[in-house]
Parts: sequence; structure tokens; C-alpha cells
Amino acid sequence: MTAPDHPFAALLADYVAECLPLAEDVLERSLALERAWAGGEEAADLYGPLQGLLHTIKGNSAMMGLRPAQELAHALEDLAESLATGPARRRDGVEVLVRGTGLLADLVRSAAIGDSPDSAHYLEELRRFLDQTVDLPAEPARVERRGGDRREDADRMVTTVRVESHRLDALLEALGETMIAQAGLRDAVKRVTRGRRGTPEESGLDQAVLALGRTLQQLEQDLMETRLLPIATVFGRFTRLVRDLARGEGKEVRLEAAGGDTRLDKTVIDRMGEPLVHLVTNAIIHGIEPPEQRVELGKPAEAVITLRAAQRGDRVVLTVSDDGRGLDPAKLLHKARALGHAPASGTPALEEIYGFAFLPGLSTAERVSSLSGRGVGLDVVGLSIRSLGGQVSVTSEPGRGTTFTLRLPLTVAVLRSLLVEVDKERYAVPLADIAETLRMGPDVLRQAITQGTLIWRDQVIPVIDASHVLGLEVPWGVPACPEAPTKGRRYCVVLKAATHHRGLLVDSLLGHQEVVVKALDPTLGRPETIAATTILGDGRVACILDAAGIADGAIEARGCG
Amino acid sequence: MSATYLVVDDSRLHHQMYDLIFSRPALAGSRVLHAYDGRDGYAQFAAHPDLAMVFLDLNMPVMTGLEFLDLRRRDARHLHIPVVLVTTESSADDESRGMAAGAWAYLRKPFHPAQLESLAARASQASEPVRTA
Repeated sequence: MTAPDHPFAALLADYVAECLPLAEDVLERSLALERAWAGGEEAADLYGPLQGLLHTIKGNSAMMGLRPAQELAHALEDLAESLATGPARRRDGVEVLVRGTGLLADLVRSAAIGDSPDSAHYLEELRRFLDQTVDLPAEPARVERRGGDRREDADRMVTTVRVESHRLDALLEALGETMIAQAGLRDAVKRVTRGRRGTPEESGLDQAVLALGRTLQQLEQDLMETRLLPIATVFGRFTRLVRDLARGEGKEVRLEAAGGDTRLDKTVIDRMGEPLVHLVTNAIIHGIEPPEQRVELGKPAEAVITLRAAQRGDRVVLTVSDDGRGLDPAKLLHKARALGHAPASGTPALEEIYGFAFLPGLSTAERVSSLSGRGVGLDVVGLSIRSLGGQVSVTSEPGRGTTFTLRLPLTVAVLRSLLVEVDKERYAVPLADIAETLRMGPDVLRQAITQGTLIWRDQVIPVIDASHVLGLEVPWGVPACPEAPTKGRRYCVVLKAATHHRGLLVDSLLGHQEVVVKALDPTLGRPETIAATTILGDGRVACILDAAGIADGAIEARGCG
Repeated sequence: MSATYLVVDDSRLHHQMYDLIFSRPALAGSRVLHAYDGRDGYAQFAAHPDLAMVFLDLNMPVMTGLEFLDLRRRDARHLHIPVVLVTTESSADDESRGMAAGAWAYLRKPFHPAQLESLAARASQASEPVRTA
């Protein structure tokens, strides 16, 4: 029942008037599904609208503060999805669905009266049903832990506790704040004890702060492990997407998935869904040939898209492959030149050419399909993956297919980074994106500024001043002019992208630090060179640079003149 | 000076909610235009260059919110009017698509009236929209 002081309490009767017909429609469709499935029909046209109706009821109930109806509608959406994609348990499941939709209609009907039926027991039953449906390995995957022995006894009798995911988010948030506070404490202790090295007070404080840091690290690792979910939860979404999309495009496509039990942090799981959808959508619409053309080429009419996941160290490597027509390097290079991303002469290495696919405006899609997420190119995929601290690359064999490789961090909450200073401001650069840092002599610095290049490990790499990247005023006036002063800049951070390197000129290097990542407010849009922000130990906010984006040339160096 | 807002949503209940919000003290005196599908919404949008803000639902008959944004982007005359997407937690894909298509912000259901009020206040303070196209 909506609380009397709820802002929309006056609208309860209107809520019932709008939602009750929808809930009754849901009930009728579930009954129709039950009949259809009993007769062995697929009835795909029934569950799409069913999901839409449940979604509307969920949204309206949420706005009205009617939690039981909101939760029930949400759970029923999950159930309908699970039954639509997994026919094996339909016979039991559809009975649960019909009962639930009946209960939902009762809940909606009673919203204005206040005498609501109990839905908690049903929800519990439904969740139990859904848990059994998800294909999980019978044994929970063993994770190597620091100092593992003391946990052996506990491992022998594993008990499972269900925790709502927002509680885990809150814990992580609190841990992040604590880590920031610890960094602040460490700095403060350093300042206070300056000049008193070796005194008992100093070493006592020092050890206490260090011990706190170690405990927090252990806590971080344990919490991260708690937050890991099998990637199968993402893969599950694709069966239907592939089928519907392929049908709409008049193509025959089979989806194969492997490594679904590979585990990733919940945040990564939540945020990688969209880029994956783009890649799979692109493969179906642009990569895979129509069946008749495939037969002519001597390929099977049915194409295969493969999703594969595996853990490699502290990264998860995810590949999306298709056996379609592949990328056309000549076309990519031509477009990259037309847009000024590649020099007009000389032929870059093949992998570098494929890397061009992730530049803005380069996706070769010429046709807009109703489902392809119009106008969203591979550059957006690259941006999303990089904002997670991951990397993406592509390889292709013309006529044989394309493979996208995503390397994702197991977790995104804490980032190992190098703090640098530019014009008195601090920025964090993810360590994973740094190849090397260099202190520059006056001559080398002059060349970097005048030519925009640097000789590094026997190769010439492009160099860019941090002020270009960050939209700051250029310290030496007109960039790349020989007599300009070189105020402040002394170091070069060599950033690595998938296929090449790029130098970034900064004033000083302040050292390594683990920073707690705070996502950018979405109303800011997506700046090309800033991936996220963090709070430093002294309470100052610092931007985390999108290093791979900078290395890929999100901002082009300007010449003299 | 009273501002004019446009609400584009196919749910009557939502229009009534907006009416309640716009009658609260923070936004009292505002004028609210109502549209029940994307096409009608776009017609009203194009006819009122003085709109302070548009609240746009995504899933609507006739024309969806994303199609609305597409049209808006093609006609540069109306880019100065900020559009707020009204979404749900399960439509994150659409949120990023909408933002990429030029929406100014998004508001996730369920939201509290105060969240909408703060968005309206922020838009009126900005000398120009934070994002246009």
C-alpha cells in the first residue's frame, strides 16, 4: 500500500484504472502460452508483448511506491525470459507463471483498497525455481586466496547466503571511502612525523597505518570475490537476440557459447552487455552473408557466432567470432585516410589497419537497420570497454570471418594507476595502459614539442602535450613552434594501444597509487579523454585519463602554424 | 516568468504524475503540454520553440523516444531545448543510445519529484544546454 505521504498517493485509483487491464492482459497471455506449450507450439509472438506489459506494470508500480507489485512484476519478467529461452522446464514453469500473473492482477486490484494479498511466499518459490534454472557448475569454482589454509574447514561445509546486490554495492562504496580515508591518513602521518623519523611515536603510527592498509587490501580482495558472477548471465541474453535479429535480416545464424562459468565482477557484467550486443548485432547485420550467397561461396548456409570467455591472470578474455565475410582492410585504410587518421602514403601493418575500425566514423556500416542501434559504431564499443579499464581488438580473415577480442578486468572498482601532474592539477593514468615513463632532456623535449614525435626504443612515436588532451591552455602559446618555451613539461608517459604507442607530455610523476574509481555523471556525456574520476587522499578530485583513447588519437595533434 | 514543459508519454498515469509534480511549489505556475505518442509529441515540440524542457518516454506507440531524438537531431532549429529521457533500470542500453542521440539527461523510474525539480532548475541555470547533438 502506498504511504499516505507518498507524492503520488492521490493517484492510486488512476493507477488501478491503468494497470488492471494490463495485468489482466498478462494473465490471459500466460494462459494462452500454457495452452500453446502444452500443444508443442513455440508461440514466440506471445511472450514479447507479455514482457512489455510486465515492464510497464513494474515501472508504474515503482513510481507509486508499490513495492510488492513492482518486485512481483520484475520477477515475472525474469521467469518469462527464462522460459522463453529455456524450453526444458516450461511444463513446470508455465504453471508458476500463470499463478504469479493471477497474483499480480490481485495485487494491482487491491492497491487502492489496501487489503493486499501476500506475495512474499510466492516470490520465494519463484526465486527458487529460477535458481534451479540457471545452469551453474555444481561445485562453486575454487578461487585461490591469500593465506588459504585457515579457510579449509570452512570450505568443507559451504553454506550459501543470499544477499541483495545493492548491499554488495553499498559495501564496496563504503570500502572505497575507507581506502580514500586511509590514503589521507597515510599522507597526514607523513606530514606530522616529518623530521621525527625513528622515534617510537613515528614507527608506531607508521606501523598502524600500514597494518590498516593491509587489512583493507584483504577486505577488498574478499569483497571482490564475493561480487563475482558467472558470465553465463550475460550470454543468456543473446540466444533470443540472435534468433530474432537473424530472422529479421533473412539470415540463418546459430549461436554457440563457451566458458559461461567464467566469473567477473557484477559491475563489469552489468556494463559489458551493451557493447556485446553491438558486436553481435554488427556481426549479424554486416558480417554474415545471406544464406544463398554463403552456399555459393561453399560455406554452410547457417552461420555461426561464437561467444567464448576464459580467465587469464587478473583479466577475462572474451571473444566474439563470426564466420562471415570478414573486414576489408583496403576499405578500412581508404576511409581512415579520408578522415585523416592515417598518412596518405605507406601501408601500415595489417593489425594497425584493423585497429582503425574503432576510430569515430570508421565503422563500415553503410546501411541503417531498424535493429542495429542506428549510428552506434565500433568507436562506442571501444569507448565502453575502455571506460571499464578493458581493451578491445579485432582480427579478420577476408571471406572467413571476424573475431573481436575483449580483455576485461575482473573488477573495476579499484584501479592501479600512476599519478601525474599537469599545470598543478593531478591526473591518474591506469598502469595497464602505460608502456614506460621517460624523463626528457632539453633536446629531446624540444624535438617532441616541435616535431610532435619522439624516438623510443628505435621507433618514432607520436607525442602529444597533455594540455591538448585536457583542453588546457598550451603553455608555449602556439603549439609546435621552435622558439616556444617549454614551461613545466619534463616527463613523457608512453601509452600503449592495441597496435601502437603514443607519448604524453606531463610536468611530473607523483608515484603509483591505487585509486577508487567513481563513474562520471552521465549528464556530462562522454568526454573523449576522461574515463572516470577519483578522490585522492587529500580529498582532491582527480580525473582518470582514458589512456587508450588518447593513444588511439581521440584528439589530434595540431601542427605549427 | 513561467516556463513551459512538454511531457511525451503514452501512460495517462504518468501525465497525472507530472501534473502533480508541476503543481508543487518549486515549479508552480509552469505550463505543461501533453502528448501521448512520439509523433504528436514531436509536432508539439516543433511548434513550441520556447519550451523549457521535454520529458520523453522511450517505449511509445507510433513513434518511439529514440525516433523522436533522431528527428530532433536532423532539424537543428530545436537543438537548444533540453530533452530528458525517462527510463527504467532495465533499459541501460537505451539510455546510452538516447544520450548518444542528443538527450540532455535521463531520469530513471522510480524517481522522486525533487529529482525532476532539480533537473529543471539545472537546465534553467545553464546558459546553453550541456549537450546538443
